[in-house]
Amino acid sequence: MEEMKKAILDFAKSSKKTKFYFSDLEKAVQKVIPKAKAREIKKAATALINEEKLIYFSTGSSTMYGLKGRGQTEDH
Amino acid sequence: MAFEPREEQKELKYQELRIYSDDELHNYTEEELKNFKVKHPIPDVDELEKGPWPSFVADAKREALHRKKLADDRMLINSECVEDLLGQLQVSFDDGETHWKHGGIVGVFGYGGGVIGRYSDLQEQFPSIAHFHTMRVNQPMSKFYNTDYLRAICDLWEYRGSGLLNMHGSTGDIIFLGTFTEQLEPVFYELTHVLQQDLGGSGSNLRSPSCCLGKARCEWSCIDTQDMCYELTHYYQDELHRPAFPYKFKFKFDGCPNGCVASIARSDMSYIGTWRDNIRIDQEAVQAYIGGEIPPNGGAHSGRDWGKFDIQKEVIDLCPTKCMRMEDGKLEINDKECTRCMHCINVMPRALRPGLDTGCSILFGAKAPILEGAQMSVLTIPFVKCEPPYENIKEIVEKVWDWWMEEGKNRERLGELIQRYGIPKFLEVLEIPAMPQMVTEPRSNPYIFWKEEDVPGGFKRDINEYRARHKR
Repeated sequence: MEEMKKAILDFAKSSKKTKFYFSDLEKAVQKVIPKAKAREIKKAATALINEEKLIYFSTGSSTMYGLKGRGQTEDH
Repeated sequence: MAFEPREEQKELKYQELRIYSDDELHNYTEEELKNFKVKHPIPDVDELEKGPWPSFVADAKREALHRKKLADDRMLINSECVEDLLGQLQVSFDDGETHWKHGGIVGVFGYGGGVIGRYSDLQEQFPSIAHFHTMRVNQPMSKFYNTDYLRAICDLWEYRGSGLLNMHGSTGDIIFLGTFTEQLEPVFYELTHVLQQDLGGSGSNLRSPSCCLGKARCEWSCIDTQDMCYELTHYYQDELHRPAFPYKFKFKFDGCPNGCVASIARSDMSYIGTWRDNIRIDQEAVQAYIGGEIPPNGGAHSGRDWGKFDIQKEVIDLCPTKCMRMEDGKLEINDKECTRCMHCINVMPRALRPGLDTGCSILFGAKAPILEGAQMSVLTIPFVKCEPPYENIKEIVEKVWDWWMEEGKNRERLGELIQRYGIPKFLEVLEIPAMPQMVTEPRSNPYIFWKEEDVPGGFKRDINEYRARHKR
C-alpha cells in the first residue's frame, strides 16, 4: 500500500498534467509495481484522498484526480 | 451476507425537524404572485410560461417571491438567488451561449461523487449565484417517501440552498439545485446524521441504482426489485462514492418486461424480471373478458366507447410472435415462442399472469447518444435466479467491471466497449456460451463470429466430400 501511494504521489508531482484519470494512476503504479491490481490501486488513491494529499476533480459526468495544491485547487 | 444496517432507521417527524413555521411557508398570496416582477428583465424566459405545459419558470417565480418575503436571517444563501438565476438565463438566451462554468473540485470529504460544482461566469452581474453547486440525494428505493421526509428536506434546502429542487434526476436522485461551497459539508451532515440519507452518484462512479415499484405495489413483478436495488446499493458503496471507473455506470431494476424504469434504454446493466415456465391462464376469466364482464386493460381507456372487446383483434392478432390462439373456446399459448412483450397480460390481467419460476434477464450496454448514438441494452443473460444476497448477480457484476476497468478507454461506456470488442469477446469475459436468446432487440440477433475451436470439425472440410453432396 505505502509503495503504491508513493508511486501515485511521484507521478502526480512529476506529470505535466495536473488532473489524471484513474487509468493514468493505474499505469503509473503498474510501472513500478507491475502486478498491482486496479482495486488495490483504488484503495491507495482513496487513502491519499482521506489524507488530503489527493483531490477529486469532477465535471459532473466524469471524475479525475489531482494533487492537492497543484493546478486548480480552490473555487474558480 | 445481505446488508444489515448498523442501527435501526428512525422515523422522521417533520414537527421535530422543521425550520420554518407555517406562516413562513405560506408567506405570499396569489394576488401578490400575479403582481410580482423579477428584478431583472426576462422577456424570453417569461415566454416559457405560455402554452399548455407547466413551466419551471412559474415554479421559480413562486420560489423567488417566497424568498423575497422571508426574513434575511432565515436563509443562509442570498434571497435573490432565484431571481439572479432567471436573469442569467435571459442573458444566456440573448447571447446564445451558457454562462455556467461546469465542474470543479468541490465535494464533501472522502466522496468523489454526489456534488457537481457549478459557477456563474457573470458573478458581478449575478452575485447570488456566483456558486450554484448541485447535490444529488440518493432516493429511497422506488422513491417511497412520506411527507415528513419531503418537507424536512425542502426546509433544509430552503435554509442552506436555493430552495430549488429537481424531482428527480435520471437515476432517480433528488437533485438539490444551487448552493455555495461553504454549505456543502453542513448539508451533507444534516442529510446523513439527521435525515439518514446518503448522497447519490455522479462522475465516474456507479450512479444511484434505481428500481420500479416492484413487489411492493405490482402483481407483475417477477423479482423483488426494491430488495435487489437496496442490497446492491449498499454492497457497492465504495463504487458509488469513490470513482475509479472509466466513466459512469448505471444499474436499473425492472420487475417485469413492461419496464417502468426503462432499464433497457437507460442503464449499462439492466435487470428485467421474467419467468421461465408458462404464463398462467385462468380460462374462466378469459371468457369473462370475452363476455364483457371484466373490462380489458384494467378499465383504462374507459373514457370512450371502443366497442365490444375482441380478443382476436386486440390480443391474439397483436402477439408479436403469433404464439396464441383460441382452440375449442380455450386460449392456448405456445410459451416457447413468447418474447415477454407483456401485451396479453396487460390487456387481460385477471386472466393471464406471469409464470411462477421467476428471476431476471440481464442486459448490458444502454446509453444516451453522446458517442456512437443511443444504444439499447443487449439481452445477454436470458435468465438468472434472484435470491438474496444475490451472490450470483454480484459475480457477474464484478466480471464486467474488471473487464471494463482494464480495457475501457476514458469516458467509454460499457456499451461502447462491447461494440468495440464485439459480443463474442464479451461472452468470453462472462464465461457463458452464445445462446439464441441473446438479442439486440426483439427478433434481431447480434452477429456471432465463431472461432474454429467452437465449431465441431473446425473450418476445414473435404471439398470432394462436400461436392458429392452439393453439385456445383
